[in-house]
Amino acid sequence: MDRIQISATDRSPRVDFDFASGRFQLSGESYPEDAAAFFGPLLQSLRTYLAAAASEPIVFEVELAYFNSSSAKALMNLFMPLEDAAGEGRAVTIRWLFTKGDETIAEAGEDFASDFSHARFDLVETSQAEC
Amino acid sequence: MLAQDFKSFFETSKRNGIILSFGGDLSENVLFSLGEVLKLRMIQGETDATIAKRVFSIFVEQAQNIIRYSADKLPGASTPPRGMISAGMIVVGVEKGRFFVVCGNEVPKTDAVILRERLDHIASMSSEELKRYYREKLRQPPDEGSLGGSIGLIEIARRSSAPVEFDFHDLGGERSMFCLKAYI
Repeated sequence: MDRIQISATDRSPRVDFDFASGRFQLSGESYPEDAAAFFGPLLQSLRTYLAAAASEPIVFEVELAYFNSSSAKALMNLFMPLEDAAGEGRAVTIRWLFTKGDETIAEAGEDFASDFSHARFDLVETSQAEC
Repeated sequence: MLAQDFKSFFETSKRNGIILSFGGDLSENVLFSLGEVLKLRMIQGETDATIAKRVFSIFVEQAQNIIRYSADKLPGASTPPRGMISAGMIVVGVEKGRFFVVCGNEVPKTDAVILRERLDHIASMSSEELKRYYREKLRQPPDEGSLGGSIGLIEIARRSSAPVEFDFHDLGGERSMFCLKAYI
């Protein structure tokens, strides 16, 4: 599958879905005008990728400074098929990055983490200052 | 007279701790611009970063609720929520050292009934219950007629430091005025 790379805007995250290496990244801020339109194609691609019989480990990295409730919903939609894939034996790691001191994002990560039992969910504190 | 009237309008706003107020047609672009100045204002005022994030988050959810669910819309959006322009009011201020965000917009009376039920339910929950409810809703498909995740109101309640205040006012005909105030 072709790699998906989308640059960040002021209100939508940078996207890098590198299917060949199993590395996925979302970073920046996320409150797009239409979250379904932004995340829908990404979810579609992820599903197609997971349906193919591949076995390389998946690392899905999320580093968002802010996301609105529609984006939270979209993230959950991306996480659910990943957890399912992990349940079927695929090695899946979610890396949830948050800036030191950012309770909101750390707490959101904990919320998501509790929904995973097969995939590994790492909360990763970074020291990078907020801009 | 004109300048004097406006001076007293501004002074009243300031006295009431209002730092941002908008009334009229709201679009996603307007939301974004208001959000940017709100962020700057809070940075300048050295607002605690966690508080600033909560204020911003509640502001975005309330503004998007107006854009998506106000009954007073400019026609023309072909693929909602993209391109929607809807009338409403949104005010951010500080009252006794606490930030508040209040929004107001017209809603169809039929929506008002459902909205009141949902808000009664949400306002009665403890923070632990809100957290659980949020996580539960996050996993479910959105409610019928929702243009987002059906979790905006829960998000607002979770980021608030007190139960959300809300009120409805019958406008006659098919509509009610809806107001929601959240303290951070």
